[in-house]
Amino acid sequence: MLLLFVSGSILMGQAQTAERGKEIFDAKGCAACHAKDMTSDLVGPALKGVRERWEKPEDLNNWVRNSAEMIASGHVYSNELFEKFNKVPMLPYPDLTDEDIESLLLYSEAVVAGTFKKKAADPGAESGDASAVVDIDMEMLDKGKEIFNAKGCAACHSKDMKTDLVGPALDGVEGRWEKKEELYNWIRNSAEMIEAGHEYGTALFEKFNKVPMLPYPDLTDEDIDALLLYVQYPDGPPSIDEAVADTQVADGEEGFSFFKSNIFYILLFLISGGLVFLLAMVLAKLKNEAEEKEFGEKGTHNLISVLMSRSVLKFAMFAFIVFGIYFTAVKAMNLGRQQNYQPDQPINYSHKIHAGVNKIDCEFCHDGARRSKHAMIPGTNTCMKCHKGIKNGSLYGTAEISKIYASIGFDPNANKYIDNYNDLSQEEVKEIFTTWIAKQNDDFDSYKINQQWENIVESLTNDQKKTVQGPIEWERIHNLPDHVYFNHAQHVEVGKIACQTCHGPIEEMEVVRQYAPLSMGWCINCHRETEIQFTENPYYKNYKKYHEEFVAGTRDHVTVEEIGGLDCQKCHY
Amino acid sequence: MKKNNTNNVWIGAKDLSQDPQFMETAGSEFKDSPLFELLGEEKVGENLKSNRRDFLKFLGFGLGAATIAAGCDIPVKRAIPYVIKPEEIVPGVATYYASSIVRGGDYCAALIKTREGRPIKVEGNPSSKVTNGGTTARAQAEVLNLYNTNRIKAPLRKDENSFKALSWEELDIVVKEKLNTGKAIRIVAGTNMSTTSKKLLDEFVVTYPNAKVVKYDPISSAALLAANEMNFGLKAIPDYRFDLADVIVSFNADFLGSWISPIEYSGKYASKRTINKIEGATMSRHIQVESHMSLTGSNADNRIMVKPSEQGAAIVKLYNEVAKLTGATTIKNMPINDKANNALKLIAKELMASKGKSLVICGNNTVEEQVIINKINDLLGNINNTIDFTHSINSRQGDERGMALLTKEMNQGSVDTVLFLDVNPLYDYVDAAGFITGLEKVPVRISTAYTLDETAAACDFIAPNHHMMESWGDVNPKRGHYSLIQPTIHPLFNTRQAETSLMYWMNKGAEDKETVYFEYLKLNWQNSMFKGALIGEAWEKQWDLILKEGVYEETVSPVSVGFNGDLTAAVNNMANSKNTDLEISFFENVNVGNGQYAENPWLQEMPNPIDRTVWGNHLTIPISFDGDRRYESFKDLKDGDLVDLEVNGQRMEVPVVRVFGQMQGTLGLALGYGRMQAGKVGTGIGVNANVLLSQNNGLTQYFAEGISVSDKKGVDKDFACVQYHHTIGVTAVDPETNEKFNADERELVDDFWKNVTTGFQGALTERSIIYQTNLKDLPEKAAWLKDKRHHAQELNERQIYNGYDELYEMGHHWGMHIDLNACTGCGACTVACMAENNVPVVGKHEVHRHHEMAWLRIDRYFYGDVENPNVVYQPMLCQHCDNAPCENVCPVNATNHSQEGLNQMAYNRCIGTRYCANNCPYKVRRFNWLDYTTADIVYDNEPALHLGNKEYGDESQVFGQDDLTRMVLNPDVTVRSRGVIEKCSFCVQRLQEGKLNAKRGERKLMDSDVRTSCQMACSTNAITFGDMNDKKGDVSEKLESPLNYYVLEEVNVRSSVCYTMKVNNRDENLDA
Repeated sequence: MLLLFVSGSILMGQAQTAERGKEIFDAKGCAACHAKDMTSDLVGPALKGVRERWEKPEDLNNWVRNSAEMIASGHVYSNELFEKFNKVPMLPYPDLTDEDIESLLLYSEAVVAGTFKKKAADPGAESGDASAVVDIDMEMLDKGKEIFNAKGCAACHSKDMKTDLVGPALDGVEGRWEKKEELYNWIRNSAEMIEAGHEYGTALFEKFNKVPMLPYPDLTDEDIDALLLYVQYPDGPPSIDEAVADTQVADGEEGFSFFKSNIFYILLFLISGGLVFLLAMVLAKLKNEAEEKEFGEKGTHNLISVLMSRSVLKFAMFAFIVFGIYFTAVKAMNLGRQQNYQPDQPINYSHKIHAGVNKIDCEFCHDGARRSKHAMIPGTNTCMKCHKGIKNGSLYGTAEISKIYASIGFDPNANKYIDNYNDLSQEEVKEIFTTWIAKQNDDFDSYKINQQWENIVESLTNDQKKTVQGPIEWERIHNLPDHVYFNHAQHVEVGKIACQTCHGPIEEMEVVRQYAPLSMGWCINCHRETEIQFTENPYYKNYKKYHEEFVAGTRDHVTVEEIGGLDCQKCHY
Repeated sequence: MKKNNTNNVWIGAKDLSQDPQFMETAGSEFKDSPLFELLGEEKVGENLKSNRRDFLKFLGFGLGAATIAAGCDIPVKRAIPYVIKPEEIVPGVATYYASSIVRGGDYCAALIKTREGRPIKVEGNPSSKVTNGGTTARAQAEVLNLYNTNRIKAPLRKDENSFKALSWEELDIVVKEKLNTGKAIRIVAGTNMSTTSKKLLDEFVVTYPNAKVVKYDPISSAALLAANEMNFGLKAIPDYRFDLADVIVSFNADFLGSWISPIEYSGKYASKRTINKIEGATMSRHIQVESHMSLTGSNADNRIMVKPSEQGAAIVKLYNEVAKLTGATTIKNMPINDKANNALKLIAKELMASKGKSLVICGNNTVEEQVIINKINDLLGNINNTIDFTHSINSRQGDERGMALLTKEMNQGSVDTVLFLDVNPLYDYVDAAGFITGLEKVPVRISTAYTLDETAAACDFIAPNHHMMESWGDVNPKRGHYSLIQPTIHPLFNTRQAETSLMYWMNKGAEDKETVYFEYLKLNWQNSMFKGALIGEAWEKQWDLILKEGVYEETVSPVSVGFNGDLTAAVNNMANSKNTDLEISFFENVNVGNGQYAENPWLQEMPNPIDRTVWGNHLTIPISFDGDRRYESFKDLKDGDLVDLEVNGQRMEVPVVRVFGQMQGTLGLALGYGRMQAGKVGTGIGVNANVLLSQNNGLTQYFAEGISVSDKKGVDKDFACVQYHHTIGVTAVDPETNEKFNADERELVDDFWKNVTTGFQGALTERSIIYQTNLKDLPEKAAWLKDKRHHAQELNERQIYNGYDELYEMGHHWGMHIDLNACTGCGACTVACMAENNVPVVGKHEVHRHHEMAWLRIDRYFYGDVENPNVVYQPMLCQHCDNAPCENVCPVNATNHSQEGLNQMAYNRCIGTRYCANNCPYKVRRFNWLDYTTADIVYDNEPALHLGNKEYGDESQVFGQDDLTRMVLNPDVTVRSRGVIEKCSFCVQRLQEGKLNAKRGERKLMDSDVRTSCQMACSTNAITFGDMNDKKGDVSEKLESPLNYYVLEEVNVRSSVCYTMKVNNRDENLDA
């Protein structure tokens, strides 16, 4: 019992110091130079195992308080460190006590061991709480994520929790509300609170363009707690998609390869050319000498005459024809392929901002990918889910987002959809949007306003489509021939293939380009290499032989090819 | 050779008579035509002089074109998303809507498959207790009617002699004014199965009291209705329970093809005719009394041949025989041929043996005959048993006697306004000539036609109707059964539903013309059908449920009737036959009906099941056997010969076709052809037989006596009959040795294998294509079949692709089973296949050149008595052989085998050598000789639908050239271009979709995931498809039958399509 108590108190003590270490770590801005995960080197070394690297704890303490002094004193390890990290000395922290440094070390060790848990978010009870270490309830976190996705929170709240979109960034939302009950109420019915004149609620409403938060009356307190937990740890368990995306990005950035570069071929050409000259010269010389021996007279063969001889010319002709045919065939095979095709689109839509910075899920807009052969370019009403609130873009201001409004007929001045929009004349439409552009851009003169409007008209109309009203006609980038059947649902939903596998690092593309060659060879190759979800999906149960092999241990995966993925009629019918 | 050829099958006269020309064509896959003809246009030959310079020019052009193509930018393609995407549409995923296909009396509960908002396919609705998920060829083709280029695109008014478009408002003002001032308004309508529409029409007559409704049907059943009213007090058509009848006697009623409710009847009929066991198997016996072989007659066990004019006598004879056995009073017999006389005596005995479980029906339009039929059924105790008035059928309501009255009134000038509701009496009414002269005297003529047909063209105002797939509606096909029609596409043109037009003219219109009738319909259902018992949300919920299901059933009070009538009066009124030497019967085909479907190219190109001709009607002439070797046809005419037919002073030139089972001294001619206003597709195809019809007591008679036929006057040079195309396994008899051999392997045998007599993969053995037996020989024949297959199965252990079995045993191995006993040959599957797989229509001239493209054909084989044979229908499609002979001859590997046992065809690899087609023993591969789909850029390669029909064909176009028709294409199936081979793919797009659904649902694949288009279309469930590896699946169960066999099993191709032996229940005593 006593033992338990002692060990318990030690644990508690440790925890408290590690907790304090975290505070110091944050307050002093250690993270500026030392990686937060403690395992990688940044400006300064990784803090993992720092205690072991120093012979004496005092040395370490001194180093932290004044590293320059240590270096000057000629301390061996200090100098080594100094040299290793580009002669950037560590900033001095003379006010840190030994206990403080111990806390920091404990903190770093706890992080490395993965035992460090952030304290429960309860600003009122900072001290004296025995249960300072709180396990993240994974179930609850998952539930939070589920609710977040199911309710479409991401439509208004940025997925990284740090950026304001239609609604505020959710990071630290609990702290912003005085009482938790008020936050609960706000989520369930914000309009009511605004009406009741709640101070913070009204302020929020004003701040976010008077777009009230949609009511979610069916969410229980528990649900909201789960959501709040998820808000705190949005990246808690790293998602599979991101991991795959990362590896894909890494694949894309393949390093410089000597054998793949043109220099290799040029060198090869020069060397073989030189060899040919050498050989020709040798040949000329040999012939001359042979003739001299035979006829007693020196021949007139020189380099030119050898190179222009019948047999060499014949060979050259032959080689020319062979290469000609080869290159024609290769070029012909590439006809109609358009890798890296990157046309200008009617709207300068940035995937980098939407998918990269704001981390909007691909399927939030391309919702066909899960259930249809087409991933689908979203309709204008999908854009309006967010852009009813966000009316000014970070890059182009009103220039691009106004195109959405002009397409669907949303009046951003009055914040409502326009009745009978399709019946309006082009002049009337122009009036609405030039007013809007002028209102939003104080520094614009009439020329600039007009210019922006002209650009909107140009983007939304063409020879066939005379009015700005109606669909946005995007330029199709990924074009498969008519005789090829491709189904997104099969690959995304069943095969669990990440979008980036074929579309590349889309979250980094300002303007989308065709990443993959989309050639048959490319498809086939992927079918040869890709493993299917063989054991996970009960559909594959009737492949009995493979299952037997799994049981016998002679097989650990099944590729697409092995279940008929190379059959013609998988893609052509 | 003998007259009764019990063990052999044959396909037609050319086959039986060993026509040398036919034997030659049958031996090769492709018909050899003169080069000029092959190139499409005869005149091409004159300019066809090519030399070395031309060759160089072409070469240079080719190079230049390739260079330019390589240098050009790829054209910009646009992707246009929705502005506001509808929730229910996911581009790329099909949406199905429950609806109904209704045209006049034809009804089919359907699921309409739409893609991106356009209907592309009709499937049967399995929830319906009437059609049970079955369809007909007509229902399948209805989706193409939606995209008919002959549709009227806006309201029209006739000025002088041409139509001018006007707005609906303008039209309504004029029409309302005319209706208000009209003193005698006549509304001409067809059968109307809609309760709501009927109610609306009643209200219309109340609003305009001067209006009267005249109803008639293109093919009349007025006599049946009248007789039932007389005898049972109900002007209704009872539900004939073919599923309860052990003996069926049908006098001229084509109940499997076109009579009353063929989908329902086929299903019920087949349920009594499938064989599930060998010992003690039972099936119904079906006897058909007719002169021309109808689709139903071809399925009958026995056909009793009587002349059309003898039908009455035959019915009286049957009555007397039954009366004798039951002790009822007999009536005076009338003269009838001896053979029929004897047979009917035996039939009566048989009917008596199945008292209460038999069925006697009659398709003749004579009240007296129908009265006697009713009495026979009464004596047999069938009334209220197999003849059920509780669920009476509403698909025939018309009475042409009203039309006769109207014609008289119009000619007297006492009618001032006529309104035509989607009927075409100027073509299909028996007295069309009188009607036309009368109509000219009517000042105001209004039509709600949806295409510009003969009647619409004669009207002053046209308020064009929606197609049914753009309309709302309800159907009451049978008492207690209802189904809804819902729109599946936004109206394509500026049209308005006929009911809506009536509402506007009654001042019941509203601002939104698309919903006004819908609201009326819904309210009517709420108030009349549900008696207002459901309101508010409960009603909305119920309505949505019905709409989703498509069908609604209501329990109805049982109706029991008793016979009440006077036979002597009936007999006295019966016309005695003039008994002339030559008579003709007129009938309705399963494809174009009486002209309502003539504008549909799918149906025009669908072979008529019996004579297998396409694009037109042909005079069917009988064949006789001289008792020795020779088969003689009527007047020694050959298929495609043109003759002059003279009926009652009307003369017309018509091509003939020889048909087995046509009674001597009779001819047959199909109705529904010879339309003169039927758009680019139907105009001028065939001859109009409606003008040859006569009337008796005001009822249309579908036969004529005392006719004459001239000698051969010429030849129809585009005579198109698919009978002798793609024949397989033709056996011939060597005239010297009298031994049988396979015609198509004769050369091989002669040259190389002179000494081999048997065993060379069946070369010299009789080919196994059709096996058939009589029910009484079943156990014996089943054992024989087992023995017969034994040798073939031994051969089949050898295979080309060793080691593949292991692959086939894993995953899926697709297979099909076709029950020849269930197949009635109706052809719904062939049209379903064309719709599903974008199979092109090629036109008459191309079919004449053996170029038809159908992936699924129904081969028709005769067996038994030459002059009165039985028929087997065999749906023939790619057999997906596991040892496929087509695969290993392809030089580019364009056709090969998949792991799932599919014989795959990669069109883009195909270079058109046609080796595969030559090597296919089933002749199921089709070659795109010309650019049937207009996918090429060279115009000259496109065939016109009506070559050689220039008077209509100047702007004659290729099928599917225009954007409207192309809307019917299935986006999941490649549209093939010229120069490639194509064939049945087992609907691989459906298999892939089904597999994807199973994978997404993370479950095993089920039979319901993978159903081929032909299987879905079948109303008798003759086709079963599935995964043969699924041992509990549908197809595995079917594969266990001992009556199964594989066609040409002895050639060891290991096909994946299994057939069952045809079993008939023929009573040979009736033949004597």
